[in-house]
Order: sequence, then structure tokens, then C-alpha cells
Amino acid sequence: MKFITNENLAELLDALKEDYRVFVPVKKTDIGSYPIKKGAQRYYREYEEFTDDIVIGEVRPFEPLKAFFTAAREVVAKGFTSEVPHQEDKPFAIVGVKNCDLRQGFAVQDHVYKDHDYEDPFYVKNRENNLIIASDCTCAIDTCFCRAAGNQPYPEENYDINLSPVRDGYLVEVGSAKGENLLEKHASLIEQVGEERARERDQQRQRVTEEVDSNIEQYEVPTYSKFKSDIIERNWDSDVWYEESKTCVECGACTIICPTCHCFFLYDQKDGDKMERLRVWDSCMLKHYARVAGGENPRGELWMRLRNRFEKKFDFFPKVADFYACTGCGRCVSACPAKIDIRKVLKRLVDNV
Amino acid sequence: MCSGNRDKNIYRPIETEVLDVVTESPAIKTVKLRPREELTFQTGQFIELTVPGVGEAPFTPSSSPAVKDTMDVTIMKVGKVTEKVHELKKGDIVGLRGPYGVGYPLDEYKDKEVLVFGGGVGLAPLRSLMFALLDRIDDFKKLYFRYGAKTPGDIIYKDLVREWSQRKDLDFRITVDKADEEWTGHVGLVTTILDDMDVDLETAIAVVCGPPIMMKFGTFKLLELGFKEHNIYLSMEKNMSCGLGKCGHCRIGTYYACKDGPVFSYDKIKDFHDIWQ
Repeated sequence: MKFITNENLAELLDALKEDYRVFVPVKKTDIGSYPIKKGAQRYYREYEEFTDDIVIGEVRPFEPLKAFFTAAREVVAKGFTSEVPHQEDKPFAIVGVKNCDLRQGFAVQDHVYKDHDYEDPFYVKNRENNLIIASDCTCAIDTCFCRAAGNQPYPEENYDINLSPVRDGYLVEVGSAKGENLLEKHASLIEQVGEERARERDQQRQRVTEEVDSNIEQYEVPTYSKFKSDIIERNWDSDVWYEESKTCVECGACTIICPTCHCFFLYDQKDGDKMERLRVWDSCMLKHYARVAGGENPRGELWMRLRNRFEKKFDFFPKVADFYACTGCGRCVSACPAKIDIRKVLKRLVDNV
Repeated sequence: MCSGNRDKNIYRPIETEVLDVVTESPAIKTVKLRPREELTFQTGQFIELTVPGVGEAPFTPSSSPAVKDTMDVTIMKVGKVTEKVHELKKGDIVGLRGPYGVGYPLDEYKDKEVLVFGGGVGLAPLRSLMFALLDRIDDFKKLYFRYGAKTPGDIIYKDLVREWSQRKDLDFRITVDKADEEWTGHVGLVTTILDDMDVDLETAIAVVCGPPIMMKFGTFKLLELGFKEHNIYLSMEKNMSCGLGKCGHCRIGTYYACKDGPVFSYDKIKDFHDIWQ
């Protein structure tokens, strides 16, 4: 088993700064002297040195991983020239990425931007060049329900290396040739430990799995096997949509924060005497999302847009790509100022059938 | 269909010269365009037209797909981009992306009766289809043209329409909802000029293009007459933004209008909700 100590991990991250812009998850329980009301905030911060607030394990940061692969605002064309506009000098190395972002998050984003008749050159380049140092979840928070969506609370795929936090450091797993090369290059930082250390990791995984399952039980979240019966179609004329959308303030946070949501709009502006085209994240919850020229809007009412959001996640994607576009990360539950809870909506949909 | 080519920027428009601008009606203009790189299309496919610095919008060309170096696009003034299109002059530079989507499967129409059934500004894309059909008219058993406009003043391409009306090889009828003093033709909704057709309903093809309300009641009328669902072709114009099946806006059920359409046979989409909206 490969093993890296805390000190050596810090050294590895320092070394990575040479070739990458390194981002690490940090956890804050206060902002200056103000305590954060509801527990803690976890987010990605560009790595400078190994500070105490860096938390590799625990749960997903609030920002979805997609932000490192399709920026919220990106120049995608300048004038009529065929060259792809200049991007970041260095690719990103993102540390502490969790399985909800990796598995279904990438499944959807890859389906849209990569495995298609038209490849998005920006996404494809980022997928090739960015480095992902994943990690196991070491706890579940209240909103976690990944296992109901068919995911495990530890990385299963789409990582270069994975870190499982254990006593005094991390067990290291290789997930790609890029990860293999990286470890070879920094072989002096990696130790070999006995297979018995895997038991510590497995026990931890088991404990977190139980924590997630206990959340699912407590909130009565239907598991993905129950989604299979055309729940959107069967609830098409249900009151659920209107009732659940009554408090919505149309901020779009649920879609912006979602690791699977991929919609964007193209926005043109003048760049001197030339055109500059931007790809900007969009949200199907916003009123004018589906409006056509002349003013017709097929989803003029808020409840129709809520229904559409669920249709895309739980009907469209399973039909066209064989997976649900929900990872169970719970970010939309935390983000919603109107307390619209995807777990509760799903339960109502399944119960109605 | 274009395959993934990573040197290609899918968001880049091709530099295109405005050769001419023709006023068709107070709200409709046709721009003749010459892209500076090759851009050919099949009838029914659409393109994204960029007014530099203003924005991009989807249009179906109205010219013959057989003309390779130029393209006509007929555009009604309805929004931000189309207002700027109406201000274009000869010599201006715009951008084009595409063509996108799937057009009309003309080879499948061979040896069958074909009805081109349009309303309002739907005549613009149907002009391109008519050019393509008339180019190979001997391939079809018979060609019908049925078209309705609100008033005689709303009929665009007047010279061309007159030319079609005089063709012996085209069964031609048009109508207006409301006549003016000079109009001597039929008055009534477009659905009222289908009754005199004598076609083999098992195989006859109908191509419908017009405003949503016309498409809806036109399709219902065709079904009532006995046309088969899989023989009715609809041009679904949604909010097609990227044209690439990525941005999400133009979804219809399990399809994207930009990639799987914009032309769909009715049987493919009839079970989806709210297709006429």
C-alpha cells in the first residue's frame, strides 16, 4: 500500500505549484469574529502553504467541481479567427475532490461537452490537463444522500490519485496514467505500508456509508431504484410542482451549484471593433430561459420550470444516457433560500406513484 | 455531421459579407450573404447568424441549397438581434455558424405525393425547400403547395409566388385570413384549402412550417384527413442558442431541436408534452 504523511503531502502540493494552479478545500467556522450560523463553510482556495484550515477529508466543498472545467464566464471566441482564445497559463490541480462530483458529475459533463458530435475544445483541454487528487469522505453532513443516487462516499472513478485519510497521513491510490507518473516523479515522498492499513480505511468507509444511509432513512429519501418508474411522467399534472415552487425566489442557485447542471448561454459583446463571445452559465429556473424570439415562452410559470428541472435530471438523462443527473451531494438543499428540498420533492413524486 | 475536431472552435462564426438586403414587407427583410469559408446546407437545416458585438440567433436559410457560395436568410424583426439585422447594409460583415441539425429527408419523399403546407413567415424556410423540391420535381408523384397568410400584405416573395402559381407541374393554392379590396383569391384559414387534394394517404408526405398555432391545427387537420403520423414533417423552432446540443435551451422531451431536429416527423415527438408551445 502506498502511503503519504501530512508533511510529505504538503511537500507534494508545494512541488505541484510548479506545473499547476493548486486548489485545496478549506473549512471555516467563522468569518473574522463572526461565527457561521450553521456549522461550517467548505470551499476551494488556491494553495499557498499547508495551513490548518485545509481539510482534505470530510465532505464536498460548496463549489461544484464543474467550475474548474467550464468556467462560469469564459471567452470562447474572438472575432472570426479560428484560434481558441487564450486560457489559463497553467492547468488546475484540484485536491480533495469527492465522489459526488467525480462520478455522476463528470458523467453528465462529459456526456454534454466531450462524448458528442461537437467537442467543446475548452472542456476537453481541461479534462486532459487538469489533475484530480480525490479523497474519501470522512463524514457525512446533514444534506448528504449520495447513496440514494447510486454513489459511494469514496472515489470510484475519474481521479488521478486518491487519498484516504488514515492515522498520520493518507493511503494513496492511483487512478490514471497521469497519477502513476506523478507518483513516480515524487517517489521519495511516498512510503510503502502493510496491507493491514487498508482495514483502517475500510472501517472508515463503512462508518461514513452508515452515516449517509442514516441520513437517507431520516429524510426518507427514495433510492434511485425507485426513480425508475417514470416518476416525472406520472406526476406531470400533479400539484407537487406548484406547491413546491411557491417559495422559489428564482435565484438559480440550485442549478449554478449543481455538479451536473450544464446549461449556458452565449453572450456577444464588443471587443474594440471586434466581437467577443462568452459562454456563461445559465439556469432553467430563470424566467426567460426557454423564451423564443417574438416573446413566446413555453415555461412562463415558475412551477413549469421546477418540473422541467426535475424532468431533465430524472427523465431526460436516464433516457438518453442511462444515468440520473443528481449526485446526492445536497448542495441545492443548502443553497436554496426558499428551503426547497430535492429529497422531499423526490419523496413526494415517488409517493404519488 | 461534423465529428469532434479539437483544433476547431465550435463557437466561432465564419466571417461573412452582406451582398444585398431586400425589403420583403415592413417587418421582413432578406439578406443575401457570402461566407468567406465554405458553408453549405441541406434544406431544413439552420444556421446561427451573428451580428458582431450584438449577438447570435438561429435562422433557416430561405435560398436554394444547390447554391453553394451564397445564402439568403429571410428575417422578421422581432428582437434584439433581428432589429440589428434589419439595419444591415450591403458590404457589412456578419458571422455564420453551422449548418446545424437534420433537414428534410428528401430521398425518402421519392415517388410519393408531397404537400408543402405553410403559414405566415414559415414561407421563408419553405422557399428553400420548394427550390430543392422543384429542382428534382420529376422524383415526386405530385407536388402540392398550400399556404396561408393573415392578409395579402403579409405575403412575401410575391413575384416568386406568382411564378409558382402559374406552374403546370405544381398544384398551388393560397389563402388569406382577411382579404383587402384587391384580393380575388380564397379567404379563410389555411386549414380550409386542403380538401381538394387526392393523395394516397398511406404514403403522402406533408411538410408543415409556420407559427406554432398554425403547426398545431394544421397537423390536426392533416391527421383528420388521414395523413399518417410518420409522414408529417414539422419544423420545430425552439430557443436554439448553441446549435450543438450543449446549452440545453431547445430541449423537446428527449431531443434537442438543434441537433435531433429542427425537422421531426410527428410520430417522434407527439407523445412529448407541450410541443406546440
